[in-house]
Amino acid sequence: MTMKMQGIYRVLVRELRRIWLNPRYFVLMTLGVAFTFVFFATITKDGQPQRLSVAVVDMDGSYLSRRICHEINATPGVKVVAVYNNHTEARRAMQRGKIFAFYEIPKGTYNDLLQFRSPHFVLYVNSAYMLAGTLSYKQLATMGMLATGAVQREVYRKKGYSDEQAMGLIQPVEYDTRNIGNPWINYGNYLMTTLIPAVIAFIVLMHTAYVIARERQERTMKSWLRRAGGNTLYALIGKMIPYTAWYTLLCLLANLIMFGPMGFPLEGSWMLMVVNSILLVFAAQCAGCFIASAIPDPPLTMGISAIYSAMSFSLSGFSFPVESMPTFFYSFAWLYPIRHYYQNFCDIAIFGNGFAHCWPRFCALMAFGALLMVGALFLRWQMSRQARLSVQPSKTEAL
Amino acid sequence: MINTLKDIWTVFSIEVRRVFSDRMVLLIFFLAPILYPFIFCFLYHNENVENMSIAVVDEARSADSKRFIHKLDATPELTVAYRCSNLGEARRLMNDHEVRSIFYFPEDFSQRLAEMRTARIVVFSDMSSFYFYKAALTGGNAVLIDEMHTIELQRYEQAGLTNEEAQIQMQPVVMENTTLFNPTGGYGSFFLPCLMILVMHQTLFLGICILTGDARENRKSLHIIPSHLRRGSIHRVTLGRSLCYLLIYVPLCILDLWFIPRWFNLPQLGNLYTILIFCLPFILATIFFGMTVGNLVVRQKISPMLCFVFFSLVLFFVTGMVWPQESMPRFWYLFSYLFPSTPGVQGYVKIASMGARLSEVRHEYMVLWIQAAVYFSASTLILSARILLRRRRNILVHNLRQKQQSLAQWQKKR
Repeated sequence: MTMKMQGIYRVLVRELRRIWLNPRYFVLMTLGVAFTFVFFATITKDGQPQRLSVAVVDMDGSYLSRRICHEINATPGVKVVAVYNNHTEARRAMQRGKIFAFYEIPKGTYNDLLQFRSPHFVLYVNSAYMLAGTLSYKQLATMGMLATGAVQREVYRKKGYSDEQAMGLIQPVEYDTRNIGNPWINYGNYLMTTLIPAVIAFIVLMHTAYVIARERQERTMKSWLRRAGGNTLYALIGKMIPYTAWYTLLCLLANLIMFGPMGFPLEGSWMLMVVNSILLVFAAQCAGCFIASAIPDPPLTMGISAIYSAMSFSLSGFSFPVESMPTFFYSFAWLYPIRHYYQNFCDIAIFGNGFAHCWPRFCALMAFGALLMVGALFLRWQMSRQARLSVQPSKTEAL
Repeated sequence: MINTLKDIWTVFSIEVRRVFSDRMVLLIFFLAPILYPFIFCFLYHNENVENMSIAVVDEARSADSKRFIHKLDATPELTVAYRCSNLGEARRLMNDHEVRSIFYFPEDFSQRLAEMRTARIVVFSDMSSFYFYKAALTGGNAVLIDEMHTIELQRYEQAGLTNEEAQIQMQPVVMENTTLFNPTGGYGSFFLPCLMILVMHQTLFLGICILTGDARENRKSLHIIPSHLRRGSIHRVTLGRSLCYLLIYVPLCILDLWFIPRWFNLPQLGNLYTILIFCLPFILATIFFGMTVGNLVVRQKISPMLCFVFFSLVLFFVTGMVWPQESMPRFWYLFSYLFPSTPGVQGYVKIASMGARLSEVRHEYMVLWIQAAVYFSASTLILSARILLRRRRNILVHNLRQKQQSLAQWQKKR
């Protein structure tokens, strides 16, 4: 046992020294994590996009249409940037990306209203911009409902109904929405809680693959393995430890800031989130180790790692649910540590579920450890083959 | 002039050989831009969440609530998977992820309707993915509006109003909604056009950085510079190299931005001519951007993969497709214009999804040309500066050696 520990320890010391002598990528990657965190925190600081540009096509030019303009301007989240005279102008502004939605008030609206004919308002929304389109639609549709509701209520009041009765007549049924896990529909909460760990997992994987590929490139494989007493598994473990510790620390720090000062809700226990973060980093590292050990060509290692992990953001399933993807990808998502992390996160932070719900995912993350063993086997096989190849020519020479 | 062309041709042919002899660059230049669009098109083939399981808790047990539940079940978005007797049971199902949303009808639902007071339905939604929330909201709202009409119409008929009078009473102003562009509001139609441009941008950028890193690592720091070139004519190297990448990426551009969207029924309102004209400055700007960054910072062949790939996420957010640019902090807005991907994505989405012509994307088009010009001069200047520095260092080293030699000779003499 002590021999094993010594092997791991010696590799660990060697790795720390390598980091100390060339800290460039270590520092750069840490800055990368910090940058991503600050980026998302500052860009989503309002929770939802504010001041979305919308417009009004006023073909009526009456007192009423001008009042509607004012009312839209008073709606939170949107601002009227232009009033157009015809549909074509507004459509072109939308194609230029100047506005996300516009109301069209047809000619003769005010007259229609005075003569008890229902005028038609048309709300045009641009759905090519997902978030901006949906939000401006929501704000403008609500504004429209409220405006017509106000007219109706005025009528009912004059007929002698009380306010509650009037509301009951105008809106017989309404929804009372309870959004579990994100009551304010805050995009920062939604994006950051999964994206930041995903970025960390991504960087961990690439960094692990990079340090192993670098050993191959610098032709220092032999000295590395000799330090571990020739055992490839200990060599890999010793090499991983500094990165595991550092990135776990970063992941925990990010979670601490998000669930602490930034106030994102964490329903369940902290301990489970800590375990979840540690296992995420561990699993991502094992995947990186496996790729780097199995592929002997350093540039190819990095290429394959990047191609594999670039899909992790989509297959985590937080943006578009994995359940709605084709069945093949549903099972494919299991190959990504971040998928398990995200599911655990939902259980812990959103629903407050305990260990009973999380343990299968914890096991799945730990199962990535098997990849480490396979990677060690690959490495051993490669080294023994290399040894054989390098011994044979000398034999022939001797003969 | 002929010399210039000759030099460009030399650099070009060396660069083509380098690209096609490097497995990693081939992987990034050819496999990624062909593979990713296909994979992601399959991934987001179902544009929206359909038939999401919900639970209903019907404590009212009335004709109104039953009708409401039937209508919910009939929407394309929702499927009533469980009918629970109480809220606790439904919450447990939700915690087990069996259902993504709960519609709870309180006991006084029908009573309030009969008393003409606003009846309330409590909706619990799972916010782990906004698509669950969106499905619950879209399906639920459609039913709500329909049900409100039914109830109101019933009431007015009971009050003895004719149908037409009732209509006017109900809706003094009729609101119509029309979705221009991406009418289903699907995720694929929104995300995939952005993804195509981002994949082109990132693969081209990375490939160039890797080639630069490879040259520097193998001590060919001033690689493929014909020996007679002086400082002023370094632009021939930049031009020769970029010609090689341009010729590789134009066919890829036609495949990714024209054919694949057709095959997968993605929005494609622009024509091939517009797309090609628009993509020319985009590809050029990306090439020169990649060469600038490569000449400036990249020292190894494999480090660009480590340092730049995760940045794609930031690039996607900074384009303004998710978070509108007007709502961004000023700093990030300006930051976004460092990258050709920002005007690239915006312009392409406008052309492909929104049917814009070149005149409508004039702003993006101009920005791309400006970026191309700026990054072209920057990459050329940086390369010349490097050559100058190296020559100076070589002279210094040469002088030093000479001094050492003369010293040694002098010592020998003594």
